[in-house]
Amino acid sequence: MEISPDAWVLYEWQGLRLNATIVFTWAVMAFLVLGSWAITARLSEGETVSRWQVMLEVIVAAIRDQIAEVGADSPGRYLPFIGTLFLFIATANVLAVVPGYQPPTGSLSTTVALAICVLVAVPLFSIGERGLGGYLRTYLQPTPLMLPFNLVAEASRTIALAVRLYGNVMSGTVIVGILISVAPFFFPVVMQVLGLLTGLIQAYIFAILAMVYIGSASRTRRRTGNATASQDITETGD
Amino acid sequence: MQIDWLTVAAQIVNFLVLVWLLQRFLYRPITNAMARREVRIESRLAEAKDARAEVEAEAERLREKREETEASREEMLSEARQEAADLRKELEDDLRKAMEARRKTWEDHLEDERDDFAARLRQRAGHQVVDIVGRVLKDYAGSDLAGQVAGTFADRLADLDDGARDKLTTAAERADGPVRVESSLTLKPGARSKITRAIHEFIAPDLEVEYQEDDDLLLGVRLTIGEQTVEWSATRFLSRLETTLDEVIEGSGRHRPDRAASSG
Repeated sequence: MEISPDAWVLYEWQGLRLNATIVFTWAVMAFLVLGSWAITARLSEGETVSRWQVMLEVIVAAIRDQIAEVGADSPGRYLPFIGTLFLFIATANVLAVVPGYQPPTGSLSTTVALAICVLVAVPLFSIGERGLGGYLRTYLQPTPLMLPFNLVAEASRTIALAVRLYGNVMSGTVIVGILISVAPFFFPVVMQVLGLLTGLIQAYIFAILAMVYIGSASRTRRRTGNATASQDITETGD
Repeated sequence: MQIDWLTVAAQIVNFLVLVWLLQRFLYRPITNAMARREVRIESRLAEAKDARAEVEAEAERLREKREETEASREEMLSEARQEAADLRKELEDDLRKAMEARRKTWEDHLEDERDDFAARLRQRAGHQVVDIVGRVLKDYAGSDLAGQVAGTFADRLADLDDGARDKLTTAAERADGPVRVESSLTLKPGARSKITRAIHEFIAPDLEVEYQEDDDLLLGVRLTIGEQTVEWSATRFLSRLETTLDEVIEGSGRHRPDRAASSG
């Protein structure tokens, strides 16, 4: 039984292996980009709006609202990054209902890649917001003694992000596999449905946590309210 | 739990490419469209607000105008009422004056008629009296009335006091024409000679006498010498009769206008 789609090699050429993770990632990307392009190519700004456009507008507006709710002053600045995280993970998880499809998020390589992106994005957004000096000073707060702990927190939350998503998605796939061997009827279907739900929840948690990290690093003031918010979300995710 | 770092690198590239593609095909167009629509809705709302304010101002203006018209109409109505009342009063006054004038005219007319009637009555009564007296004298005294009148006049001349007679004498001396004797009745030659004799005897012996008739005298004789006149006639008695008749007519006529006024 394949646990990770990384091991499923579809094509190999001169030592470069094209595994299922990358292929399914491309499939998800193609689905998202072609779908968006098909809809946004015929955008309407008048009173009558197509239902597909309404759907996209609702999704984009909801993501923006969520970003604003976490505390960002200008949601448009973070929208491409956070929105793409959410849409990619959600689509990758929801497409699991398609037979023969293996969600790329079930591969630790993919989740690590996403976590590394967040790891890099946090300082980049922070430096863009406050400058290099301002960003580096956050590691010395509240006292310089906290520097090692801040560094450990930075690393550990990246690892937590990666492992949380990987564990949840992979466990869903594994549980379905086990249940099929134990009880071939009915239960796998329920677990598939549950898997859809957890897939969406994981996408939401990943995107929101990324935004919380970026937001907490970008802000100098207004720390108290958002610190508790990030704590709540972390607990929910676990 | 394996990490294929080549796959990790590929996935990072994939993700970054996806971010760029979605920014290109999803976020930017959708966000722009939403922003533009928002702007348009806002501008439309502002337009609607302006239009509404305009309409409200217009409505306010029309309301004021209507109130103004209402007020002016009230004013015109009250003016017209006042004018009508004035006109009515004027017409009533005119009518009252006209009625008054007509009543006055009627009264004047009545007065005239009464006077006329009295005059006619007087004249006819005088004539009647003279006629009756003449007939009575003729029937019972065997002589005509003119003869009696001439005799009476001759007696009057004889009875004149000295002052009056002197005046007549003086007037006769100054007069260069004949003296005139006027009577209501035709005097017979006997009566004429009696009067001529009396004139010659009591005033002047050689006066020429001329006789004329005058209906106005009713019954009597008038002697005119120059500016002096001696007259005896029944007019005096008739004047008394006239006075009495006037009183009677006045008494009966006083009721008639009152009756006319009350019935009119």
